[in-house]
Amino acid sequence: MRVGQGVAMGNNHEVHPSGWRRWLYSTNHKDIGTMYIVLSLIAAILGGSMSGIIRLELMFPELQFIQDLQFYNVMVTGHAFLMVFFVVMPAMFGGFGNWFVPLMIGAPDMAFPRMNNISFWLLAAALILLLLSAFVQGGAGTGWTVYPPLSNADYHPGPAVDFGILSLHVAGASSILGAINFIVTILNMRAPGMTIHRMPLFVWSILVTAFLLLLAIPVLAGGLTMLLTDRNFGTTFFEVAGGGDPILWQHLFWFFGHPEVYIIIIPGFGIISQVISTFSKKPVFGYLGMAYAMVFIGVVGFVVWAHHMYTVGLDADSRAYFVGATLIIAVPTGVKIFSWLATMWGGSIEFPAPMMFACGFIFLFVVGGVTGVALANSGMDLAWHDTYFVVAHFHYVMAIAAVLAIFSGYYYWIGKMSGRQYPEKLAKIHFWLFFAGVNILFFPQHFLGMAGMPRRIPDYPDSYAGWNLVSSVGAFVAGIATLLFFFIIWKTFSSGGKVQSNQWGPGATTLEWTVDSPAPFHTHEELPVTNSHMPAE
Amino acid sequence: MMGTDRMLKILQRQNRNTLTAFFLFGIVLGMAGLAFSSAPLYKLFCQVTGFGGTPKTNVVRKAISKSAGVINVRFDANTNSDLPWVFKPEKQKVLVSLGEPKLAFYFAKNVGAKPVTGTASYNITPFKVAKYFSKIDCFCFVRQTLEPGKRIPMPVEFIVDPEILEDPDTAEVKTITVSYTFFPVVQNDRKKS
Repeated sequence: MRVGQGVAMGNNHEVHPSGWRRWLYSTNHKDIGTMYIVLSLIAAILGGSMSGIIRLELMFPELQFIQDLQFYNVMVTGHAFLMVFFVVMPAMFGGFGNWFVPLMIGAPDMAFPRMNNISFWLLAAALILLLLSAFVQGGAGTGWTVYPPLSNADYHPGPAVDFGILSLHVAGASSILGAINFIVTILNMRAPGMTIHRMPLFVWSILVTAFLLLLAIPVLAGGLTMLLTDRNFGTTFFEVAGGGDPILWQHLFWFFGHPEVYIIIIPGFGIISQVISTFSKKPVFGYLGMAYAMVFIGVVGFVVWAHHMYTVGLDADSRAYFVGATLIIAVPTGVKIFSWLATMWGGSIEFPAPMMFACGFIFLFVVGGVTGVALANSGMDLAWHDTYFVVAHFHYVMAIAAVLAIFSGYYYWIGKMSGRQYPEKLAKIHFWLFFAGVNILFFPQHFLGMAGMPRRIPDYPDSYAGWNLVSSVGAFVAGIATLLFFFIIWKTFSSGGKVQSNQWGPGATTLEWTVDSPAPFHTHEELPVTNSHMPAE
Repeated sequence: MMGTDRMLKILQRQNRNTLTAFFLFGIVLGMAGLAFSSAPLYKLFCQVTGFGGTPKTNVVRKAISKSAGVINVRFDANTNSDLPWVFKPEKQKVLVSLGEPKLAFYFAKNVGAKPVTGTASYNITPFKVAKYFSKIDCFCFVRQTLEPGKRIPMPVEFIVDPEILEDPDTAEVKTITVSYTFFPVVQNDRKKS
């Protein structure tokens, strides 16, 4: 069987499946990457609209648009699930990862092309399950943390939460298969001379992310299964009446949840490293430090989970440990920030759209990192827990930072993916509009949080009016910027000029710039030989 | 046609990939196994370390030496709203000699119309002294069934380890609170209204 596959691989290069078969049956890493990106765009419209509804209601005190408060909870929950599992992860890990990991390491495709196909279609199925959950019996209004008792059969008796759990199970299976595929590809299928320590940092970031998924997702799956049996089959894992403990759920969830936020942002680190190096026309500063900083962040990310639960009654010693462990993460992230700055230092810098988004990323990530250091202290967190300060913090550090990384990657690689030039001027307007919008949106939320405004509420006392209005105006500016982005996509595909195989010139030194633009259906059939960090030079 | 060497190479690579994939899948299974064993492990961890105010229940009486010290023990009683019981301690507070077994009583009365089975969860505050508080026997170790209108005493026998005075973290504690919450026993075929 395997020999047969090998022969087929050798002989059927010119066979191009067409029509719906090309996509549904796809085993091509580029086509699957494209499908991931399209899925993330669709989910972004849904998840973004939900955040628009949230900001619309929060614009003024009292209830204006939403009378059914469970609907508000469903919007909060749906926004989080969509953005985490169906926008950011598919765009960076599934989308750019599939497209560029094989191209960058000189592999003809992923190690298991059929498994790649099922990874994608499982995710599509999971998206449908999640949307179904919003439409049955009031929907799931649990927040993305799904804490019992709110998520148990007493408070969410209908099937909505069960649909949500199944959706996460299926999305988790998709991620695990994808992660295995990436790890095998990166470990076993590098071209001759592409040693581990010569891999581009984007490939490193995907490798670290894949390991995080491999270790974190099964824990979520275990917890979700226990919750499912608690809800439907009378077990009491998280129910005190039967000897269980709802705090156990929080431990399990955050053992997954904390690595999950690194799963979201680490591929962004990889993209930003490629972009900054390219447009500074310098190799990235401190390559090994950059690579192992990601590894270190990944490892330590597994032993800091209880900093999300300082208020559950942990004793002082446990909290002291989790404060210390959490603060340590500022060291490797600092290494990354300063290495990016040092990469730019003395470089011949250009500022096309991807580089602008990369610089914006650094700013947002630093702001979110600083509030993160503040929140890591359990004494401070007892006051800030579940306030808008936390909302502002995590949106800066992993949500809009990740989205800026996606935009940066999109403008950086769209020429390679489509063969067409994006409209530079519009892309720069997109950057300024989006960057201004998200800062106006999230910066005032720090003030609201410090003044004590709780998260996840549809209404608030009059004293919080004002900054909420500013925040909502920022949301609409960011929304307009996103519409502009969709217009730019349309413009690129309808009237973008053709681009060269290396559109970025001497700074672009990774292997994807050695193949034609758009990248042909099959690439690296002759394995490229690498002698340095900059194989394409 | 492809050369035999090249076919062999592809075959070797396929095998290596499959081997790596199986290894990685093993990691996934291992993590899932750890997740599922977390419930018993969490319970064990709490029992061994007294984490979250879990008192010791499997004490060897001889191992605890007597001491001259005394400590206040307060009794707290809670009842879940689904359970039609009146549940109260006999005394709010007792003075206990360290290292000496002490018997205390709660009383529970079923004020509902039907016989009900209840079970109590329990913990100790401050959490840090839980490892020095041992329950020798307790009504909370078993389920309790009460006929309508019936009132029964519920005994708990416990011992406070004099080590509590030696530990610099716990030496300052003058009062230990023992808390119980009675819940109706959850039926496997429960139907929520």
